[in-house]
Order: sequence, then structure tokens, then C-alpha cells
Amino acid sequence: MKRWPLVLLLSAVIGRGEVRLIDKATAQEKPAVTVPVSIFEKDIRPVLQAKCGRCHGEDVRKGELALHTPAGIRKGSESGPILVPGQSEKSRLYEMVRDGEMPPDKKNPLTKAEVEIIRRWIDGGARFENETATKPEITQHDIVPILLLRCTACHGRQKREGELDLRTRAAMLRGGKSGPAFVSGKPDESLILKRLQREEMPPRQRLVEAMVKPMEATEIEKLTRWIALGAPEVADEPDVAGTPADPLVSAEDREFWSFQRPQKVTVPDVAHAARVRNPVDAFVLQKLAEKGLSLSPEADRLTLLRRAAFDLTGLPPEPAEAAAFLADADPRAYEKLIDRLLASPRYGERWGRHWLDVAGYADCEGRREQHLPRPSVWRYRDYVIRSFNADKPYDRFLQEQLAGDELADYEHAPEITQEMEDNLVATAFLRMAPDPTWANLTGFVPDRLEVMADSMDVLGSGVMGLTFKCARCHSHKFDPIPQRDYYRLVAIFKGAYDEHDWLKPQLIGYGGALSASFGERYSPHVTTAERQRIDEHNAAIQRDIDTRKGGPQTPATAKQINELNAKRLPESRLFTLWDRGEPSPTYIYRRGDYQNSGTLVAPGPPAVLADRETTFEIVPPWPDTKSTGRRLAFARWLTQPNSSAGGLTARVMVNRIWKHHFGQGLVKSVGNFGKTGDRPSHPELLDWLAQEFVRQRWSLKEMHRLMMTSSVYRQGGQRGREGEGERGRNTNNAADDPSPSPPLPPDADNRLLSRMPLRRMEAELLRDSLLLVAGQLDETRFGPGDAVTVRPDGLVLSGKRRSVYVQQLRKHPASLLESFDLPAMNPNCLQRAESLVAPQALHLMNDATVRELARQFADRVQREAGDDSARQVQRAYWIALTRPPSDEELTNCLQTLTSLTEQWTKQVSAAEASRKALATLCHTIMNSASFLYVD
Amino acid sequence: MPPITDTTFKAQEGGMKKTPDPFTRRSFFTSVGAGLHGAALLHLFGRDSFANEPRVATDLRARPTHFSAKAKSVIQLFMNGGPSQMDLFDPKTELDRHHGEAYFNKIAGEVENVADAGALMRSPFKFAKHGECGMSVSNALPHLTKHVDDIALIRSLFTTNITHEPALYIIQSGHMPSGYPTLGSWVVYGLGCECQNLPAYVVLDDPLGLPINGVENWHAGFLPPTFQGTRFRSTGSPVLNLRPETADPPEIARLQRDLLNRLDRLHQRQRPSQPNLDARIASYELAARMQMSATDALDLSQETRQTQELYGIGREPTDSYGRRCLIARRLVERGVRFVQLFINAQIWDNHTGLATDMKAACDRTDLPIAGLFFDLKQRGLLDETLLIWGGEFGRLPIAQLPKDKDERKAGRDHNKNAACCWLAGGGVKGGTTYGSTDDLGFAAVEKRVSVPDWHATILHLLGMHHEDLFVNEHGLKEKLTGVQPARVVREILA
Repeated sequence: MKRWPLVLLLSAVIGRGEVRLIDKATAQEKPAVTVPVSIFEKDIRPVLQAKCGRCHGEDVRKGELALHTPAGIRKGSESGPILVPGQSEKSRLYEMVRDGEMPPDKKNPLTKAEVEIIRRWIDGGARFENETATKPEITQHDIVPILLLRCTACHGRQKREGELDLRTRAAMLRGGKSGPAFVSGKPDESLILKRLQREEMPPRQRLVEAMVKPMEATEIEKLTRWIALGAPEVADEPDVAGTPADPLVSAEDREFWSFQRPQKVTVPDVAHAARVRNPVDAFVLQKLAEKGLSLSPEADRLTLLRRAAFDLTGLPPEPAEAAAFLADADPRAYEKLIDRLLASPRYGERWGRHWLDVAGYADCEGRREQHLPRPSVWRYRDYVIRSFNADKPYDRFLQEQLAGDELADYEHAPEITQEMEDNLVATAFLRMAPDPTWANLTGFVPDRLEVMADSMDVLGSGVMGLTFKCARCHSHKFDPIPQRDYYRLVAIFKGAYDEHDWLKPQLIGYGGALSASFGERYSPHVTTAERQRIDEHNAAIQRDIDTRKGGPQTPATAKQINELNAKRLPESRLFTLWDRGEPSPTYIYRRGDYQNSGTLVAPGPPAVLADRETTFEIVPPWPDTKSTGRRLAFARWLTQPNSSAGGLTARVMVNRIWKHHFGQGLVKSVGNFGKTGDRPSHPELLDWLAQEFVRQRWSLKEMHRLMMTSSVYRQGGQRGREGEGERGRNTNNAADDPSPSPPLPPDADNRLLSRMPLRRMEAELLRDSLLLVAGQLDETRFGPGDAVTVRPDGLVLSGKRRSVYVQQLRKHPASLLESFDLPAMNPNCLQRAESLVAPQALHLMNDATVRELARQFADRVQREAGDDSARQVQRAYWIALTRPPSDEELTNCLQTLTSLTEQWTKQVSAAEASRKALATLCHTIMNSASFLYVD
Repeated sequence: MPPITDTTFKAQEGGMKKTPDPFTRRSFFTSVGAGLHGAALLHLFGRDSFANEPRVATDLRARPTHFSAKAKSVIQLFMNGGPSQMDLFDPKTELDRHHGEAYFNKIAGEVENVADAGALMRSPFKFAKHGECGMSVSNALPHLTKHVDDIALIRSLFTTNITHEPALYIIQSGHMPSGYPTLGSWVVYGLGCECQNLPAYVVLDDPLGLPINGVENWHAGFLPPTFQGTRFRSTGSPVLNLRPETADPPEIARLQRDLLNRLDRLHQRQRPSQPNLDARIASYELAARMQMSATDALDLSQETRQTQELYGIGREPTDSYGRRCLIARRLVERGVRFVQLFINAQIWDNHTGLATDMKAACDRTDLPIAGLFFDLKQRGLLDETLLIWGGEFGRLPIAQLPKDKDERKAGRDHNKNAACCWLAGGGVKGGTTYGSTDDLGFAAVEKRVSVPDWHATILHLLGMHHEDLFVNEHGLKEKLTGVQPARVVREILA
């Protein structure tokens, strides 16, 4: 019934279509002058307190919004102001309550009357009766971000054109050659405004070179207003972190499992005690027992050997190794095997690759057509491999990668040691994000912010297990990460990653005067030893040249001199990151928009992980340095044993190790330990492992030993029947049993680990194994990436070195690796895909390189087994699959071998025919599931 | 939309949440792969319960749409480089009037090559109205004018970056950073494919070279690699490694296939309940079928001379693009879901030589596209095929002068604020001209269409709602259209 009048009114409006009528209608909707305007104290405050106070009050300030004081309401939220006095329709506060978006739980919404009261109050000017205005409407914090964005590239730290520095109010008043930048209170007389209004600044022809955009009209307006007001400056302390009673993160928020320190747990007593080799087994068996399950029977020795070899070295064991292992009667034969594998230099290549996925390693930048090479980034890859081989404690490994430049004084050192160089190389971890900012048009502030965001994402998801990137534009929707905490984290890295004082990947393009305001991110601090080696090498060449120049000058001498010159070694530089001091202030970017700055924040760790006992203290790393020490403080905070942060760091890493051994993590979402991530399947085990990791001085190799010597790891892949060995490889039981597909068995997803999962080889394992089996693998270690060849048809060929040393070009991944899910690093990869598509089959069946490797494999088999077909098949199985063929396999292979030889004999000589037949057999084995899948 | 995550459950000691937990289900499917078992299990879980959850597919079987739609497949005629809107589809009489006047300072922040910026420049081409709808098209595209009554033209498209690489990421994937799935990947992720003997998403790139950003124009980002575009080369072997470079005699190949099959089945029998192993055997069978069907689809000798002529095959400058257009028709005819056509380099990137070079670009593509229109129509395929045409951005109303400042060789610089694009075929209201730019053609002003709007409209025409096509990635609900609201441009729907 209530709707009638409106409908009538509308039809009247539409019916006549008169402008006058519409005016009348709108006039009716607006409150008439006589309608009482709501009073804040009487009408508004109680509503806000009752309906919004729980999340936006004094103690809890979700989205940085506090509605309990006029100042808080005026300040608005992290997304900006919530009030436009006089215009309810443009006020976020009104929008939110009108549309029912707030309060979000819908349990206690505002009544219609309350919404209406708020509307009237806003439309009436949103006045606060008792408010004594203190803070000026515009302060330097509104102006500084604009000047940083538009002006300081040429009038700032790196460059002072016209001797002018515009970074602070004082510096502006000091002015430059032409006088002070502004006259307080007098916009008309202020030089900066004149230059801006005349469109002289920033100089339009040099925008691209300086990588700035002209100031926008609204920004000029704001600056004008600020000057008119007398350029007010307030002594706002930046928002610092660490108070336990943080209004943006509640005590309840901190209770979430991953933010708690690992709990002390006792290893349970379990029923199947016979299978408990170490505590890992006890935890897993306990959960299995709850479901009436147990572990599968132990896998046979050869399966274990192959599994362990792939897990730790990424390559299949050689037949001789298998024979020796089978013959070893020592009850600790398996443990000794694990020790041998851990000591192999191949270990670092295998596990280093896992870490390079986390970091997002690539040999070039990205996001541009031309993918700029990173000439010395391989030093980082080598650093990672060496660190794994040396079993560098993980806390130290992280500290080096996050703050290596602040660990040891290389600035004043008489000699650059290997350790100092490693420290610097390690920080390339923070430089792995694809970076287009070397190019003229993709080097502006927003482009730089993307690079910084990617680096934060790598750190957040890879190391901390948190989806920090979500908090770039707004407070995290699910996890207690306020937007402020994202910018605090950004501030920690500001000394090295400053969007207003940028180091480019390389200085190319504009080489003019202005580009001096940018630097390059290469450091000359290679070891003194290397520098001397290069100097001596080049000096020797110089001596040679001088001798030749002293003699008679013939065309031959000129040629010799040219050749000698070509042999000079270039200067070595490190691709790295270091603190350059004097970072720009960090403001929150509301809604992630770099043109919409909010509160000033100080460097600090995320509040949800801050606790009373764990210090976060920023001190310069050594005297007489520009380095701020921010990242060092953070790295130490992050790896502090017995803290929430250190606990999370340890959990994330042991979970990653677990994932690589058991196919899935205890927390499946390895990069997300937050609320939208998975809960741990075995929380006590995870906590026990995290603490054990720290107790073992963060040693990865100890973790491998622990996990791999457990019964859980040593079980088979198929749940056996009562009294039967798990595999029955030489029986045909399974084959003879044509029972229809059974219902999903218990623990179908293997979350309880009732068996070892069957795993497909990762791309690198497949390629490296193909090469090794064919006797073609080149195990040269370290150094610049092994160049790939791009064929005109798009096929990308790689050489014969291990895949970790193959050049990693974003646009041209080696085709074989790409087919088997080598990830594109955007910016990194925490969980590889495992696709199963026809082009993989086409590649393994038809690719010329694979077929050539099959021929070489056949030649090797022939060399090692002689001419007897059965021995050949046996040998091929041992080489490729670390086991003998079953009777059935042997029969099938021999039959086919005979038929193949017969067929080929029709076309080629008998010797050639058997050679070709064997090659086809070897090629088939390389294509077989037995080869591609590891039990 | 209800929240995708149940925020109420607590971290229980050892508690594995069974239902309803989309994450468990999702990761289950990523582990299942493309096998028949995957299909059966997908069925077991019941499709309907997925209403507000991501489509958790890792395979290419055809899947139902969100609502019924006419278009079944897409041919994307991608015009890399950024075609000039005011010289093709958006006549500007004011530009004629203000020809030669200075304008640079007003738009300086929007210009890529500031040193070469010249004055306002009128179009060297002449416009006329065509078709029953009276759509304005310049004389650079004489053949397309015959089909304007089938076309819905958008004059108010805009994007957010003036550089090729980021602008290409935006138009292909809806996001400026690289690493997001492209439109084609989302489409085959959502709909699968009718045809299992050919890839669902085929890319026909120019034999003369890859476009800017190369293979990133059709990558699947964080979707499984199954959904990335497969390049078909229009000459030689269509797919990499489709056949060995030196093939074995057929009998040898047969013996090898048989042995592999027997060995794999033995392996599989000892490892029951491993759907991946079934799927892998199936993938070898599909590979064998693909050898036949891919070769067949690309065999243009099966077409009559008349048809070939329709596409301009056999003469220059249309032969190459004509072949790709004809192959595109043969692919959609066979049920391929998404076909994406590229031209080498950036023939539409006319920084200089607008009058000559842009005309050359038109001459290479105009007749083949008109031929494709005619051919699809005569075979009754236009109704279920969606044709989309456009580049990564538009161009500026001011001139860009070459280094020698020779005005006769002037071109236009990039412009993110306005571009033209068109759609035609299944579900599109032909003869529509939608949106407009300011008097000079610098920026879209009326009925502006963002790239996410454009994507949402394309998905809509295929029967999908852009908000319902998503995956959960790192705790985010990732969609083609991103986080900002996108709008289906309903005014161009039939």
C-alpha cells in the first residue's frame, strides 16, 4: 500500500515529461528546510556505537576505521574519507549502511529510521557540535606524496636541478636558484604554482626521460590550498608497529593456529609400535589408527632406492649402485644410502631447484617484448645450490637472502671475502620479480610498485606462508593483515626498494643528463680474489699488446692485437640488492592507488605476529654507513626461535620439505597458512617438526634424514591385502582380477598417508633422466646458464647439462621442460601443475632429440649387455627403471624386439636392423609409465 | 554471492574439514588429470553443488554453459599494434576543422613519443555510410562494408596502458601484469570443447613471426596448462612434434605403439585406483588421433578454388591471412572452441606512414575477413560463431612525425583512452554502433566500455556469467574481469 503514491507520482512524471514536474518530484525527495537535521551527539553517536562499535571503535579498528570520535569519523578508513558533508549519496558511510553492506554479519543491521537519521545528518552538513577542530584540513602529509610522485625525480635526493629540493617543507622554503618554491599563505606569489600552472613543470618534453607524469589539476588545487593555509605542518608520528594491544588486530585474531607459536607436543604411544622408527611414524600412525587404518607394507629395496635417489638427487641410480645396495647386508644399509645421497653434489641441484621455484628464478627480466638479460644472476642460482649442499642453516640462509648486505661490512672491508660476496649475491632473492622498468615506458612509479608488490608476494607466500599481496589495496578480507601492515612491510624494504628513488635493471635508452637520477642494480663487490684474477689476466694481455705495439706494425700485428683485446675479461658485477639509505617516507596507498596516499607508516613487522618477547629493533648494521638496518632487523625477527614469527617460518619450511617427499604438504596450501588455506592434516606433527627443525639448528639435511628414514616414507604405494607383499610385481594377481571399479577406498586422497603416492617426474627429472640413461648427461656444475636454441618453428632446444643449469628464459623455456609443466615465473611458483595432455605424448614419441637419446640409450645397452636380446632387455630395465623386467614384461619386449628386427631386416642389413629394433625398444621404455612415474 | 570460504569453522586439533570445503575438492581434481576416471568422479560429486564454486576442471570435455547461448565458438581476429579508430570506424569532422592546430600540451601525459608529437591531424581516408544500418566505415576497408549489418561496432572501448606489452596483457587477460589466463584459456576452461581430436584453443600465428609478447598472448596463467592455446602453423607440420622428422615405417610405429600400450597396462594393473595412469594411456591414444585430424583440418586442398578465392588465397597481399581465416572456419566447423588469429609484428602500429602503411594492413586483412563472413554465412555457421575484431588500444588525434619531420609520412601514436572493436555472429545485434568519443576522438566519453566490460560481454555471448567463472588462487577469487565490477554491454546483444 505504501508503494501506491510513488507509482502514481512516477507515472505522472513520465506521463507529462515536463522538466518542471521532475524538479518538483526531486524537491519532494530532498528534506525540506523544516525537517530537523540530526544532531551528532544525540542522534548519531549512539547508533554508531551500538551498530558499528564492535569493529570500528577504540579497541578494534577494522579497515583502520574508528567511529567513536569525530576525529576518527573525519579521518575515514584505509580506503579514504567516509563523509562528504552535505552529500549523503557520495558518502561511503551512508552507502554502506543504506545498501546493508555494513554491518557485514547482517545480524544486527541498522533500522530504516537509523539509516535515515544518518542521511539527514550528512545532508545537513555532518556537523560535530562539540568538536574543537585541531588538525588543519591539509598538512604536509597530503603534499609530500604528490611532490615525490611528480617533482623529486629532478628536485630530490639524486638530482637537484636548479639547486632545488622539494622533499620537505623546509627544503621548499629554502628554495633553489630562483628563490623559495613558495610563499606561505600566498599562492599567487608562489613560484612552484606558477611553473605548474604554465605547464612548464614537469617539462613536457622530458616526461618520459624523467619517468614522471604531469601534476593533475586536483593535485595542483590541493597544493594551492595548502600554501594558502600557510603550509601547515603537523608533527605526526608515523604509525609504528609492535604494540601488543593493536586496535587493528584483535586477541581473537591471534588465536588462529598458524599465528600461534608451535605448541609443545608429546610423541604419542601407538598400537603398531613395530612400525614406529621415529616420532614421525608415531604421529602418522596415531591418525591412521583413529580411522582403523595403518601404513601400507614396506616397499621393496629397489623401489626405495629409486624413490630416495629421485627425491634427493633428481636422477635415477646407476645399475651398479643398485647392485651394491642390494648386496649390502648391513641393517643400516638404507640409512647409509640416505647419507650417501645427501652428500652427493647432485643434492644441491635437486633441492636448490625447489628453492629457485620459491624465489622465481629467471635469467632475464620480463613483461616487455625484449626480455632484458640478467647477465650475472646465475651467481644466485649457484649460491643456492652451494648453500643446500653445505646444509647452510635455514635461518642463516634466509637472513642472507633478505638482508645479506647488512650482515657483514663490505663497505669498509680491506678485502671482499667469499662470504661477503655470497651475502650480496643472496639478496638477488628479492630481485627475481619480472621487471620491465629498464624500458622507457614501463618504468614509471606504478610499474615500479608492481615489481615491489611481486617481491613482497614472493616473500609473503614463499617464506611466511601468508597471502600478503591481498593487503596491498585493502585490509586482508580473511586474515588479520591490515592494509597498514602491508605498507609497514614495504617500508622495511624501502632502503633498497624505493619507488621514488629507483634502481633500474639496466640503464639503456635515454643516456642523457636526467637518467643520472636512476642507478643500476649491479654492485662491483665481487671477491677481491676474483677481481685480482681478472686484473692479472687483463694486465697480462696488456703486456702482450704493448710488446706487439713496440715491434713492427703489420696487418698481422693489428689482427693479433684485436684478438688479444677480445680475450680481455669484462669487469665482474653482482646482480644484487642493497640498502642505499635515506628511504622516502612510506604512505599507505588507499585502495592500492599510488595517487591516493593515506597515513604515514613506519617499518615494522605484521602486528598479528608481533609478540612482547620478540624484538624488532632497527639499528644501522655498522658505523658510518647509509644502510638503515631495517631488513636485518626483519630477517632476525623472522627467524627468531620460540616466537610466533619464527614458528611460522619454520612451519612453512618443514611443510615444504614434507611436500617434496610425500607429494602434498601437511598443510596442502604450501603458500597459504591463513584462513583460506588448508588446515594441517597432522597439526601436532607439524609443530613437532617445526620445533625439531629449530633444535637441529635449522638443518635441512637432518629433516630429510628424519622424514626419509621413517616407516611412513618407506611404505609402499599400494595398500596390500592381508599377508601379502605390497607389490606382487612378478605375479599377475591384479591383472587377473576383473572386479569392477571399487568404491572410493578409505583415505582416498591420502591425507592420512596410508600409502606413498605415485608421483610423476617433474620436468627437470624427466629431461635429466633421459640424458643420464642415454649416457649423455653433462654434469658440469655452476656458471652462466647453458644457452637454449630457439628454432624458427618455435621448438626450444636445450643442451646436455642438468636442467637447473639450462638458461631460464621466460619467453623461451626449453620445449621438453615446458611440455611437462616447467612453471612460468610470475613471479614465482609454489606448487607445480601436473598436466596430462596429448602434446606430452607427441613430444616423447616424435621429438628428434628424444629419439636421438633413445638411439644413444640403445647403443649403451648394446655396449653393456652384448648381443643377446634377453640380456639387452634386462640391462635396459636396470638402467632406466632400476629393476629387472617382470616375466611378462620380458616376454612382451622380446616378442616385439623380434618382430621389429624382422621388419627392419626387410630394409636394412641384419646388424643395422637389430640396432634399430633395440633403439625402438629403448624409446618405448622412455615413453613408458614405469619410467615417468616414481613409486 | 555467498562467501566462498566458510569463515566460521575453527582450527580443530587434527580436524580435517570434510565438507563443504572447495579447496579440498579443487586440489582433488588437479590431481586427477584428464582421464575418464576424472569424468566419472566429477559426476559423482554432482555438478549442481558447484553452483557458486569454481569450475574445477582440468580436462577439455564439453561442459554446460551457465545459461543458453547461441555462440558455440569464437574466432578472434586480433589486430596487434592498435588500429587507428578515427581512420577506420570513427569519423571526426572536428578533426578536419582543427587540422594543424596544436594540442600536445593538453594531453602530454598521455603521449608515448613526446619528441615526435605533432599537431592535430585529420584522417587521410574518406568515410561513407554503409548497409541498411548506415554504419560509417572508411574507404580503407571496402570489403568489410558489405557485412556491416552483421556487425556490432563499439567506438568507446578504452584501456589503461599506452605501451604494447602491458596493453596486450590487459586485452588478452584482463590484467596488466603477466601471468593471468587469457580470454581463450578462460573460455575453454569454462566450456571445454566439443571436439576431442583437436586442441580446444588453437592459435594461428603468422608464419612471418610471433606478435609482441609471443606465446604469452595465449598462455593459461594459473589455470592448468591444458587450457593454453596450441599453435597451429599454417604451413608444414601444424603442431610441434606432430610427426617425427624422420618417420619410421608404419609397421614399426604400430609395433611400438602396441608394446607401449601393453607395458603401460601391466604397470597400470599393478597400481589400481590411479586414474592418472588411465588418463596417460588415453593421452597417447588422443595423440595418435590428433595426428590424423590436425593434418586433415589444415588441408586446404580439400576446399574448392572458388572458396579459396573468396579468402584471397593464391594472391597477394591476402594469401597468408586468407589461409588462416579459412583454417579458422575449418576448425570451428570441427568443434574447436576458440581460434585466435595473429598477424606478424605489428602492422597496425602506424607511428608513421598512416596513409600508406595502415592501408597496407587493411589490404592484407580486409578481403579475407569479408570472405570469412560470407563463407560462415553461406554454411549457416555465423549464427553459432562469434567473430571478434580489435587490437590492444587506439591511436591519438595528433600526428606523430618521423625523425625528418616529413608530414607526408606522419602517423599516430598510441592512445589508451579510445579504441574501436567489433563483434559479429552468434547472439550479436548486427548493424549496431555503440558508444562515442569526444569531438576529436581522443577519449571515449559516452557509454564507455572497459576491457573487463568487453570480456564480460564475450563470455555472456558464450553463455557464461563473468562473475561465476573463477578459480581460487592464493586465497583470491580470480576472474577474467578482475575485482572491479564489469558490465555486459547488453545494447549490442540480439
